[in-house]
Amino acid sequence: MAEEIRAEMVANVLSVPVTAGERVEPGTTLVLLESMKMEIPVLCEGGGTVREVHVEPGEVVQEGDLLVVIG
Amino acid sequence: MSAAAAETLERDPRDPQVRFEHFFDPGSVELITEVDRSGMLAAVGTVEGTPVTAFASDATVMGGAMGVDGCRVILTAYERALAEGTPVVGLWHSGGARLPEGVVSLHAVGEVFAIMTRASGRVPQISVVIGPAAGGAAYGPALTDIVILGPEGRVFVTGPDVVRSVTGENVDALRLGGPEPHGRRSGVVHVVAPTTEAAFVEARRLASLLGNQASLDLGSVTDLDLGSLLPDSPKRAYDVHPLIDVLLDSPGVELHPRWAPNVVTMLGRLGGRTVGVVANNPLRLGGCLDSSSAEKAARFVRMCDAFGVPLIVVVDVPGYLPGVGQEWDGVVRRGAKLLHAFAEATVARVTLVTRKAYGGAYIAMNARSLGATRVLAWPGAEVAVMGAVAAVRILHRRRLAEVPEENRALVELELAEEHEKLAGGLARAVEIGVIDEIIEPTQTRSAIAAAIAAAPARRGQHGNIPL
Repeated sequence: MAEEIRAEMVANVLSVPVTAGERVEPGTTLVLLESMKMEIPVLCEGGGTVREVHVEPGEVVQEGDLLVVIG
Repeated sequence: MSAAAAETLERDPRDPQVRFEHFFDPGSVELITEVDRSGMLAAVGTVEGTPVTAFASDATVMGGAMGVDGCRVILTAYERALAEGTPVVGLWHSGGARLPEGVVSLHAVGEVFAIMTRASGRVPQISVVIGPAAGGAAYGPALTDIVILGPEGRVFVTGPDVVRSVTGENVDALRLGGPEPHGRRSGVVHVVAPTTEAAFVEARRLASLLGNQASLDLGSVTDLDLGSLLPDSPKRAYDVHPLIDVLLDSPGVELHPRWAPNVVTMLGRLGGRTVGVVANNPLRLGGCLDSSSAEKAARFVRMCDAFGVPLIVVVDVPGYLPGVGQEWDGVVRRGAKLLHAFAEATVARVTLVTRKAYGGAYIAMNARSLGATRVLAWPGAEVAVMGAVAAVRILHRRRLAEVPEENRALVELELAEEHEKLAGGLARAVEIGVIDEIIEPTQTRSAIAAAIAAAPARRGQHGNIPL
């Protein structure tokens, strides 16, 4: 089942260390966000394969925006 | 096949006596009400040697529906628990009030709610929802201190059929009131268990933590380097769980792990004594407080205070989460609950600032001004209205606007250094007494344990309204 990883808060996208097709383990950093003057890694919960990447560095994401889909 | 296995096969797993045997210590169960058709049964026994009172729905009779006689069983269990001062644990599997009995069953269910409220803050109340807990049976667990949900557990006021006929929404019981919605969205459930057996294990751990708090043995508290669990960069977010796990003797029981995860609330032991931990988790929302997390923490603080459980508050908070959503969500009203909860708490409550405590959130995380027993900080921790750079951007807005853009960052930094000297940083915070002591991260466990041990044992005289 696909797992949709969404932004929890308004943030700048600092980096996206994963690419589509890549295998990721629980705890892997999927996206690095900046918000409240902090660097906040968005971690993979379940593990699987990165199906879709919806953001790139420099973008601003809003709360609820889709970041990555893990399948 | 052994005789015991044959006997287990013959017995319905929904039989409350079978459930009591799973929950209590082996051989300790003693029924305190009759086995009958009331749909409910009560017993006393022990959990890790601690006396506990329990009642269980009998789902083999009318799906565990609650009538006058069944409710009488719950009242008996509560009267016993209040008289003996034991935790009371409800094992729920009930469709709600008994329809054929009509209003008298509603009246009886209301009496159950009333005795739960009278018992609130006096004896710990734990609910294990094994099967459905619908209608009246939903509000039973909801009035108790801690709700544990098994994989088959469903909690809702109106079931899928009623929802469909009234609103036209097609939703099944799982999506309406299963582990996902209640563990993550509603905050109704404190602990989601992967199996029914695991739900009993969690209930036993919590009954023991609250029913047998033990005394703090300072000699058993060894020191470890908690500082190594922080990332090198002060800007980097991190998961606070490993830090709490090391702070406690062993990993505790987290309440509401998936709901409002930017604050962690956990019961565990330090020096053998039960303590409650409230910690910001920078990994989620940067550790900001928001309306849900403030409410979650407030309820936890009030529960701990009511049962005399000392509190450890681990602070690394950038502030309150800004935004229209938060304001409209009542962050002012719901955030005020946390201020109220800490300010009224009479138990020992020790604050540790690991990295930073800014603004209104600094106060809300059990600041000196709210009556903290002791406020500790690690070297390098920041205590301020806001970060220095953010502060000078406001204080020196005009001056900075005149600086050419390419020089602005540098000037900001210079002004920030100057501001820190004036505002005083950590040293000033110690001087004015809002921080009692700067401790090395390696002294954390012993310093917190000593502060708790030195404080008088007190307990708040109030109930634990499900905030």
